[in-house]
Amino acid sequence: MRPLPRPDLTSIRLPPRPRLVAMAALIAAVLGLATVVVAILESTAVGIQDASPAYFVAVVVAGSVLGTIPAIVTAVVSFVVYDLLFTNPHLTLVVSDPKEWLDLVLFLVLAVVVGRLSALGTERAAEASRRAAESSALFAISRILATAPDIETAAPQVAERLLRDGSLDRIWIVSERGGRHQVVADTRPEAPFPASTIVTVLVRTPGDTPAHWVRAHEPRPPEPNRPTEPSRAQHGGTILRVRMEADGVPIGSLKASQPPGAAEPDRVTTRLLALAADQLALAIRRDDLRREATEVEIARRADALKTALLDAVSHDLRTPLASIRAAAGSLVDPDIAVDAASARATAAAIDAEADRLDRLVREVLDLSRIEAGSLRPELEPLVLADAVAQVVDRLRPILGPRPITVAIPDELPPVRADAVLLDGLLSNVVENVARHTAAPAALEISAGAEGDRIRLAIEDGGPGVSPADRDRMFEKFHRLPAAVEGSRRGLGVGLAIVRGMTEAMGGSVVAQESRLGGLRIEVELPAAAALPSDAGEPARSGIPTP
Amino acid sequence: MTGAAATFPTGAHLLLVEDDDAMRGAVAANLAAHGYRIVEAADVAEAIRRWDAERPDVILLDLGLPDGEGTTIIRRVRREATTPILVLSARGAEPDKVAALDAGADDYVTKPFGLAELRARVAALLRRTAGPAADREGAIRHGRLQIDVARRIATVDGETLELTPREYELLRTMLSQPGRLLTKARLLRAVWGTAYADEGHYLHVYVSRLRRKLAAADPDGSLRELIVAEPGVGYRVAEPP
Repeated sequence: MRPLPRPDLTSIRLPPRPRLVAMAALIAAVLGLATVVVAILESTAVGIQDASPAYFVAVVVAGSVLGTIPAIVTAVVSFVVYDLLFTNPHLTLVVSDPKEWLDLVLFLVLAVVVGRLSALGTERAAEASRRAAESSALFAISRILATAPDIETAAPQVAERLLRDGSLDRIWIVSERGGRHQVVADTRPEAPFPASTIVTVLVRTPGDTPAHWVRAHEPRPPEPNRPTEPSRAQHGGTILRVRMEADGVPIGSLKASQPPGAAEPDRVTTRLLALAADQLALAIRRDDLRREATEVEIARRADALKTALLDAVSHDLRTPLASIRAAAGSLVDPDIAVDAASARATAAAIDAEADRLDRLVREVLDLSRIEAGSLRPELEPLVLADAVAQVVDRLRPILGPRPITVAIPDELPPVRADAVLLDGLLSNVVENVARHTAAPAALEISAGAEGDRIRLAIEDGGPGVSPADRDRMFEKFHRLPAAVEGSRRGLGVGLAIVRGMTEAMGGSVVAQESRLGGLRIEVELPAAAALPSDAGEPARSGIPTP
Repeated sequence: MTGAAATFPTGAHLLLVEDDDAMRGAVAANLAAHGYRIVEAADVAEAIRRWDAERPDVILLDLGLPDGEGTTIIRRVRREATTPILVLSARGAEPDKVAALDAGADDYVTKPFGLAELRARVAALLRRTAGPAADREGAIRHGRLQIDVARRIATVDGETLELTPREYELLRTMLSQPGRLLTKARLLRAVWGTAYADEGHYLHVYVSRLRRKLAAADPDGSLRELIVAEPGVGYRVAEPP
């Protein structure tokens, strides 16, 4: 429908003077063209008496391309030119024939009306396309904010989108949470922030009053997470700021800089910035509320866990303590005659209960060190076979009469671990076997290298553990039904400690079903580089010293 | 180990440094009942006074004292004498144990400890002060294992063990102080030299090789358990049977 490709001068934003010149040039060109056409048409060769409507074309072109005012200017100039060139007497504004006067005035009126009409149509079309662009930008922004997981992801995309639609050369978004300013998005993160303290602020008032820009002097807000270079960051353009608020709470600012010399943002850009600021404010507020809700939930669960821990721990610690006090109390009681044999038996009971208490306290301490993240493993290459042999030898008394197989190849590379933690985790797993499987059930420990990892498997021929329990047995205070008659149950933290210690050393642990029928605990730890052997040294010890 | 107390001369003179009154009372009562003479101290200052006045045969030392670190006492004692020092330490404090041992302590027991174990450790320390492990011919004997220091040969039941020089040196160092806990740094310095004091992994690997060779030379098994690891601290060689 448009007569020419649309050079939309309102959005091209030429600086005022060149723009005026361009308009004048266009008007002169169409007028010249129309004049030539009229001259040809009214020449004796063609012989048309009144070819003045040709100027209407010039007016329509001026109106549709440049708008109402240029159209009216064109109409008036057409009127004058026609009067000067084609009305008798030529080259004066005087018109001899009164009828021609009427024609001329009618021409002028018609030209103005035609110009205005053609301009109106074009302006409406331009407005419609601007609105379409605005809606599409707004839709895009809403979509980004609705689908992004958090504001840190959404804000940069919003900024990019605004940069595409507005006549701006940089957009950045500053959130303001609890007095802390943070740049959550910036389309030119490498550049320093403009140092100017003159900021054009968008003033928005409730009701129908349109928003307007006001120049203001503002102290620079602290933007501590970005270095600024005040002296070299001079920026010729204007800094725009749109406040972001939600529920009357200031959330931050949407800021933009314009290229040097640019005029105040037009209505479209202004609306876009204002609406984007509102949407961003809501999104940031929503994000904050969600975060708060999550924190509250985490705190609540941690509390529940602490209560459970306290209940379990206090019960388990009190039981041996109660036995100790009861036993000691009867020794202390002057009314009870204690013979030497029963005194020794009572003391033995105290000793055993104290031992149990010691183990429980050790577990609690180990667990709390793991949970507090205060395990500082001192990793060094260790020989796994030695560590295993040591633990098995130490725990042989509680393992009872059962077949014990240790199959660790001599050539297995050393494992990279902490000596104390490795000993602790092996002891816990083996103790677990002793506690949960009755004596003739086999214990098998094997290891192998797989790439740069060492896999250690501790398997038992006990009754095994159901798959559902296998998944949960590494959680703390998870207690399986005691399989061994009369076995003393621990806190249910042994395997949680095993996992904590293993992970602290950069390893992992899983529970599987053993081919022996029972449980298979597989610990994976990083292997250490093998030592340079001393093969170059003489192999025999029998060298006499000089 | 319970029966060990009866097999060595009692009447030795012990300095017990421990700030917890109940603990000190219980330990002192038990050791006294087993024939030791006990001198008690509750803090660093008193311990040093007692040390100067009494010159005990063994010092039992708790590291955390109200007026300072137990290691102060260790250094003070080591300036003047080689009196055995047994550290009574809290569990899980391996760096403290190592620091105390490197400062000159001879052994440690971890609280809570059994009194029988404590007595056995004291007895071992007293035995060790009796003299060096090597006999007059320059041989170190440890059950079926023998080291001919002059010829640098280790034998089990007369059969020569095939050892590399480092392995031999390691075995000799540990066997010359049986029962004594040797820290990693101490062994590394003795066998590899001062520059290797932090290279703990050499030690683990060589100890492992030594154990394997000892086990191969002695299929019935007792030599396999000759070298005992104290995880995170060091090694000791079991005392001769």
